[in-house]
Amino acid sequence: MNDIAKKWAIKLAVLGDPAVGKTSLINQYIQHRFKENYQPTLGVNILTKDMILDEINVETRLILWDIAGQDKYELTRQLFFEGCHGSLLVYDITRSSTFHGIETKWLDDFQKFARPDGEYILIGNKVDLKESRAVSFEQGSDLAKKINASDFFETSAKSGINVKEVFKNLALNVLKKFKA
Amino acid sequence: MKKEELIGAYRGEVKYSVVTALLQAYHDILDFDGMKSILREAEMLHLKNIRDEDPDQYLDFFSFKKIISAQNCLLFDSSMLLFEIGKKFSFYLFPYGKNFEDVIHEINSSIITEWKVEILERNEDLITISVQKCIFCSEIGVPCDMFKGFLVHSLEKALTSDYSVSYYGDREDVNNPDHNNFVLRLKIEKKYYMDDL
Repeated sequence: MNDIAKKWAIKLAVLGDPAVGKTSLINQYIQHRFKENYQPTLGVNILTKDMILDEINVETRLILWDIAGQDKYELTRQLFFEGCHGSLLVYDITRSSTFHGIETKWLDDFQKFARPDGEYILIGNKVDLKESRAVSFEQGSDLAKKINASDFFETSAKSGINVKEVFKNLALNVLKKFKA
Repeated sequence: MKKEELIGAYRGEVKYSVVTALLQAYHDILDFDGMKSILREAEMLHLKNIRDEDPDQYLDFFSFKKIISAQNCLLFDSSMLLFEIGKKFSFYLFPYGKNFEDVIHEINSSIITEWKVEILERNEDLITISVQKCIFCSEIGVPCDMFKGFLVHSLEKALTSDYSVSYYGDREDVNNPDHNNFVLRLKIEKKYYMDDL
């Protein structure tokens, strides 16, 4: 973290199985748009977003790492986690395998390779696809408690439900911890 | 922007071979979207297919520096990645290896601006290098992991495979505006294999 010119830079990773909507969440947050066609991320997509958090009187730059979920990036992905202050752990509420992947893979990787005291929030994405739901809100909420996530949200990258809130919430949690 | 309009630290030019090697290094370590992220941040996305350009032509230094600044912004706090990118940068710039003195000469002559890399001292197991106004870490808060990776790997390739290279130097204070002037020591050590013992 860097406090040059009274501005904080924080590195946040968006993690989860392929096609859970990591890129779409970032696109919705930054560009307020949603693409219907799925194009897997190749390696890592890195974007920045400046934010003013009035609650704690801080100006911050979020450096958002949208990290590819495919197995072929297993080795290089570990390097991508270096210095991460926080993470959104994302699953797709219509595919229970992506829900199980949070505990068996993504949380473990984040805790092993990112900052040991990094913050993370659990996200159930694609809440607009209610009719195909395979993971209930309660299951998500229970998992968030079990893994000590600082919060749990259900989001829709398509409609924008809760998207702004999750990034703001994560930034706030990270800054409260690391700025102290 | 016309060359004559550029002033001070942004004046100069860089061989396309350097730019191509750098982009290839990004591509290898961060893959296509990672490389594009840096070019997009630098507002230089049109360079993504630069491999087709004549390697002996030049890009203005201002544009090159925009890429380096974008790299340093996006890869903030990513020392290991930057070191690996530096190693790959060396690999693609000198794919067949080169005498280390020639590497130093060539990096100075391929990136023509107000900076200087020179060998201060060389003996069998130690090389001392001075970098003045390093262009890869001129921003406050940015350590020079990338260029260190470049130097380490360039020397490794100049040696036979039974030697390894490590580096050390004075502790870097990245908040000092002068931190891009530094001395680096490259230590050459013989590797020992089980059969040697």
